[in-house]
Amino acid sequence: MGALNREQKDMEEQSAKHKVVHYPQKKNKVKRNESLKSNAIAWAFLFPFMLLYVWFMLYPIIQGFFTSLTTGSFGMAREFSGLDNYVRLLSDQAFWQSLWNTVYFVLISTPTIVIFGLILALIVNAKLKGTTFLRSAFFMPYMLSISVMASIWVFILQPYTGFLNAILGQLGVSEEIFWLGNEHLAWISILVATLWWTLGFNMVLFLAGLQDISEEMYEAADIDGASAWAKFWHITLPSLKGVVTLVVILQSVASFKLFGQPWLMTGGGPGDATRPLVQYIYELGFIQWDPGYASAVSYVLFGVMAIFAAIQYKLLVKKEG
Amino acid sequence: MEKHRKPFNYKKLIVYIISYFFAFIMLVPLVWMVVTSFKPEGSVVTVIGELIQPPFTLDSYFKVNDTSEIWRWTANSVFVGAVQTAGTLLVSSLAAFAISRIPFKGKNFVFLIILAGLMVPVEATIVPLFSMIADLGWVNTFQALILPGIALPLGVLILKQFYDSIPTELVEAAKMDGASLFTIWYKIFLPLSRTSMAALAIFVFVQSWNNFLWPLLVATDASMMTLPVGIPTFQSAFATDLSVPMAANVIGSVPALIIFLIFQKHIIQGITMTGIK
Repeated sequence: MGALNREQKDMEEQSAKHKVVHYPQKKNKVKRNESLKSNAIAWAFLFPFMLLYVWFMLYPIIQGFFTSLTTGSFGMAREFSGLDNYVRLLSDQAFWQSLWNTVYFVLISTPTIVIFGLILALIVNAKLKGTTFLRSAFFMPYMLSISVMASIWVFILQPYTGFLNAILGQLGVSEEIFWLGNEHLAWISILVATLWWTLGFNMVLFLAGLQDISEEMYEAADIDGASAWAKFWHITLPSLKGVVTLVVILQSVASFKLFGQPWLMTGGGPGDATRPLVQYIYELGFIQWDPGYASAVSYVLFGVMAIFAAIQYKLLVKKEG
Repeated sequence: MEKHRKPFNYKKLIVYIISYFFAFIMLVPLVWMVVTSFKPEGSVVTVIGELIQPPFTLDSYFKVNDTSEIWRWTANSVFVGAVQTAGTLLVSSLAAFAISRIPFKGKNFVFLIILAGLMVPVEATIVPLFSMIADLGWVNTFQALILPGIALPLGVLILKQFYDSIPTELVEAAKMDGASLFTIWYKIFLPLSRTSMAALAIFVFVQSWNNFLWPLLVATDASMMTLPVGIPTFQSAFATDLSVPMAANVIGSVPALIIFLIFQKHIIQGITMTGIK
């Protein structure tokens, strides 16, 4: 804008000097028209995306905030209640339990996925015979839909008729284990099912990282007589820092949104021992029909993830810088 | 490795054993699903010896076919996934082109708003989103299943980054020839970004295929359900008889597994590109 004004002034001065009044103004007009035209075209290109984006993303976010300040059942008149819903949160045991459940899952799933994802990637990268087969075997579970995945595991894990207990029985375990009925075992079951389902995805990310490491570094280490372990520790791991950060971010974001696995495998139980935050939002909103309170809990999820993203962004920038 | 020739490489053997053991563990649930689905109803599926011996039958598949709307759910899933993918590619490439190549007022602000969307979990907006859909009378419609997933910030980000790398000379030359911006987008940018678009397409389709929470909310009518929502509804009637639920699982997985086997390379490339950015 400033530059344009200056240009205009210069032109006016010049035109005054040369006593040509019309020509520069005309040129200026053309310029302004061009920028208007450019704006119009840009918005024509942006319009379809922005329409859907504002409609289904920005508007619900803002609407959700206002809803969180009200009380009243779905479809009923809403009453402004200020921060009441947020105050209610503080003393809501079920809310804290579900928040902890979500954080707990993030804490147990992220490191295990990083470790096992890396192991699988190393296997596929090791140039063994049958690498294509191995890669397919590791990746295939990721192609299943969440319901198929959950149903396979529920039927494998269920007592009396489940596959796992039958095998354990044949191995001499006489006790009937209720994998999904015990608080700790239920979490282990959800974790194992999630690992089985998503390791292939993370393996692919690690694989890309492994293939970016230059062969020369390993060759140099070979000349120095480095052991395989030393090579892994001093070359492979440091080179994978970026990918590890990425997997940690993707995985923790996915784990914060945990819903399908407990919903389909344990129903959040036993009790509410495996009920994550998203399921609590779902139940508040669509079973108890309390959209105001559900929106307040949604905003907590939103806030927790934003804080988390900020921390990770800082770590990422630090690592790359 | 060829440098040190030993009579027998124990280390390598251990690596092989571990690798194939992992592959075995990963495949067992899948193989179990497939084998169980072919067993007659009510047969013992917990003893491995009996599990892998005949009789095998297609009865469970017929039963799934007769008593569920699984083909309808498959068609719904494919349709929703395909339209969502096409829609996302179209709107995000148009938007990415504008942000990358057309000067306009407020560009930085628009881009910032789109980037901010990367951090918003859709799960946190389901309550207001659903009440909006309900107010529109869109529950149990395709537009409710499809439209909210189309404007994907990640799509704009990936394509913008690729568009930024296309040389300006190419655009200038086309402008000299009198090409409009739309022509430039359509004739130059779209064909050049084929790889990024394919990666994005796979990402969007897999996400849509696996989407669970949103269809669970808006598709309550059996004829509108997608596979992830329909399958558990159907299976909930079976507790101890495993062959019918497993047959439903197999049918529900076949399209995705076929896609995987055909496009394996592209899928893996796609994950790498969309993941690593």
